[in-house]
This record gives sequence, structure tokens and C-alpha cells, in this order.
Amino acid sequence: MNKFEELNLYEILGIPLNASYFEIRQAYKEELSIYDEDSVISYSFFSDDERAEILKKIEEAFLTLMDEIKRGEYDRALVDAGIADVSILSKKGQKKPIPLFQMGRPAEYNALVKRVKKRVEEKDVTAISTEILSKEVISGNDLKRLRESIGITLEEVFEVARIRKSFLKAIEEDQFEELPPMVYLKSFLKSYAELLQVDVQKIVEGYIKNVPIDQEFGR
Amino acid sequence: MSRIYPIGGGKGGTGKTVIAANLGALIAKQGKSVVLVDLDLGGSNLHTCLGMRNPRIGLNEFLNKTCKKLDQTVVSTAISNLFLVSSVNCSLEVANLFFAQKQKIIRAIQRLPYDYIFLDLAAGTNFNTIDFFLASNEGLFVFTPEPTSIENAARFIRTVYLRKVKQVLKQRAFLEIVREIIANMKDRNANVKSSDIIEALTEKDPAKGKLLLERLSAFRFKLILNQFEKKIDENLGEKIEKVCNRHFHSDFQFLGKVSYDEKVHDSVLSSRTYVTKYPYTVTALNLQNIVDKLIGKDQPVSDRYQRYHE
Repeated sequence: MNKFEELNLYEILGIPLNASYFEIRQAYKEELSIYDEDSVISYSFFSDDERAEILKKIEEAFLTLMDEIKRGEYDRALVDAGIADVSILSKKGQKKPIPLFQMGRPAEYNALVKRVKKRVEEKDVTAISTEILSKEVISGNDLKRLRESIGITLEEVFEVARIRKSFLKAIEEDQFEELPPMVYLKSFLKSYAELLQVDVQKIVEGYIKNVPIDQEFGR
Repeated sequence: MSRIYPIGGGKGGTGKTVIAANLGALIAKQGKSVVLVDLDLGGSNLHTCLGMRNPRIGLNEFLNKTCKKLDQTVVSTAISNLFLVSSVNCSLEVANLFFAQKQKIIRAIQRLPYDYIFLDLAAGTNFNTIDFFLASNEGLFVFTPEPTSIENAARFIRTVYLRKVKQVLKQRAFLEIVREIIANMKDRNANVKSSDIIEALTEKDPAKGKLLLERLSAFRFKLILNQFEKKIDENLGEKIEKVCNRHFHSDFQFLGKVSYDEKVHDSVLSSRTYVTKYPYTVTALNLQNIVDKLIGKDQPVSDRYQRYHE
């Protein structure tokens, strides 16, 4: 019967229905600064269980609204329930500038990194990672499989490693013409592998073998 | 009718007394009559913050019936329009009041003929403090950015809130229902939480649940972040306001922050209130902003005021 439990995903993040992705991301960070594990506010006001529950909701709100398809479905449900006006369905897709890198990372960022890392450490994926690392050539799909088996979303990779989502997609889907120049690609792969805590060198070398020669030289 | 503002703070040393003295001084300067009541029984020093050595009369004379009315124990201060009821002369055992005495004091305070009444309360969450805090339908809450202070703030707010819930229930004879709820709780050892009571009552009797929520939302907490320093998250107060409004049914308003100033110490030593001695500092300006927010509202006074016992 808590007020918080009655909020919809937009209200949880405190954003309007037509919020841009940038606004969603900012709102998410704001919420984390209140409710995250190293916040003095949530420490004082909630028990660990309560806080975990609230954080789960915030994360769900963030991940749903950041995902175009899921957000569309959610909006439709809101419209059907009479909560939102039909017009919100058509307003989507508006492009607004999305800053990719923030210079001063706020304190809550560390807590997010910690949480993702903890998940990576707790999940035992030795079987799949040995299988992938033993390969001569590592494809984007291998990386995707590994990431998904750990249970990390692309969004979280972006949040932690600060690699643009379009590049992450291109890497995972082997869309070679979309890849960044080689020097960046290597560095992205390195951060990606570090995040998943697998052998960095093998991943970078294996993936580069996967990229066709002409693509490689074209860059 | 007067507006009564109890001033609480979970932790000691957050500056309740200094805030009381200075808010009082600023409001008095605007021509309103203000009385400060020192209810930090057994730990009074509001008179010191106002530059008074030893008030000749105070709460003790009311309690031992030398003075019939609390109004007769009011003394004037160095600032015009600003008055004080001191408790420095109270007997040493006064910190532990009987319930009836407490009720008597609360009723007498509610009859004091002043525009603004500030109650300077003791630290902690003992019944004295909580009941005095609930003497009005709104209260000021002073906390500092220290983690321990915020932790105690949360505890204080939760305690006041729970006591308010119980108070409403008692007045309305809902207690039977609640006893039943508690008896039926799965985990007997768990502490009863306000949200559990509200939830269970609403489920059992929606009309009564609604009434409880109405009464809870009529209660206003006003938050002041004291001893603020630059290195701290500048939106800390706003964030706490947001969390409280989201997770409690009462109304929370963040009045503003008061910057840390070591000259507060000097002003107490020199027996003058800080805002009269240093009226142009950032800290004094912060206090003025808080006063503007506090008295600037055009809401009718009768709305905001509610008797302890209806």
C-alpha cells in the first residue's frame, strides 16, 4: 500500500511520458544516487530488503524504457489502461542529442559498476567461456552468447564500459561495415572483455580474425 | 490562532536550539509576536542562545503552580517581539514528565496568545519529545549532512509517523482492529511497521483506512538541513524530501539548507543571537530564506492548526 508501489515506470523515474532516452538515463542516475547501496539516504530510511526491492523496480523501469520495443509495448498497455493518451505512441522516435560521455562521473556510477561486476563474478560461466576462448576465430555471436549467459544487458555494458550501443550491436552482430576504426575496435573489445572478465588478449585477437581482411585494411 | 512549530531532530547537536533562536529572531523582526518554549527538559540552553544568563521565571513556576497560566511565565528577550519560556529552573527530575503533566503543558502551549510558537525539543525519540512534536499538525525537523544524523532523522520521522498512526487509531477507537491485525501477523517477533497497519486497516475497513490516510496526509514535516558544507551533495535536502514524500503519506517540505559558519559559536559566547550579530552572512541569508518559506504561505492559519485532542 506504499505510494511507491503504485507508481508506473515513468513515475518511478520521475519523467514525462515523452521523455527522451537522455532524460531517462539522467533520471536513472538521479534515482541511483538516492537508492543505491552507497547512498546515505537509502541506508537510513530502508532495510536492505526494502532497498533491494526498490532498486529492482528502478532497474526494471530503466531497462524497459530504454528498450524501444519494450517501451512501445509498455506505452500501449498504459494507453489501454486509460492512463496515457494515444498520442504518446506516435511521439516516439524523436531524436534528441544523447551525450555519450560524462566527464565527471557521479558517485552512484561506482555503485552501478560494482553491481554489474558482482553479477559477473557470481555467475559461473566457465563452460561457455572456455568453449569460446578455445576457438581460433571468435564471432560477434560468441560474445553475445557469453554476455547473455552472464545476464548483462547491452545497456549495462554501455553504462559501465561507455561503448556506444550502435558499436556494441555492430560487434555482436558482425556488421563489419558499421564497426569503428581498428584502433577503437581493439580498445572497445578490450573493455568489453574486461567487463565480462575473460582473457582480453584472446578475445581481441580472436575477434579481429573474424573481421574480413578488406574491412580491416579499409580502416 | 497561533502557529505552533515543534523543532525536533533525531540526533543531538544538529542545531535545533540555535535554529529556534534565530528563526524566532527573524520572524520577530517582521513585527510578529513570537514565543520560544524550551522543552529540552533537563538539557535547556535556549536562554543562552538568546543571551540570557538565568531567566527569573519559567516552566517550573507553571508546573509547581506558582503561576496559574503558562502565559505568566513568559519573559521578554533582548529582541522586541521575541519572548521565552525557559525550563532552566525546572527541578532536576523534570526530564521525566508524567503523561498528565505533558498534556497540561501541551494544552497550555496551545492557548498561548502569540503569532508563532516554537518548541525547542530534546534530541532522541523518547515519548516526551515525540508527544511534544505532535502537539501541532506541523513540525520542523533539523538535521545535518552527517550520515549518523540522517540515520537518526529517518528513525525520528518513522517514530513520529508511527506514533501519529497510533494516535489517530486511539482517538477513533480503531485499536481493536489493530490488535487483531497484530495478533494475526505471521511473524510475531517482527516490529510493527506503519505501512503494515495502514495496509491491514485499509483491507479490513476501507473507510477507516481512508480516514487514517487523510489524517496522516494533514501532517506536515518541514525539513531544514543545517551545518551544510560545500563538499556535500547540494541536492541532499531535496532528495530526502522526495524519498519521504514517496514512502510516507504525510507531507514533507524541504525548507532549505543553512551553511556551516564557525561564527555561530562566537555569537553564542557573546550572548547575542547569530542573525542580529551577523545579519549579512550567507548563513543568515539561508535562515531568512527559510523564514520566508515558512511564513510566506498564504494558507489560512486555522487550516494548519489542529488541536492535540479533538
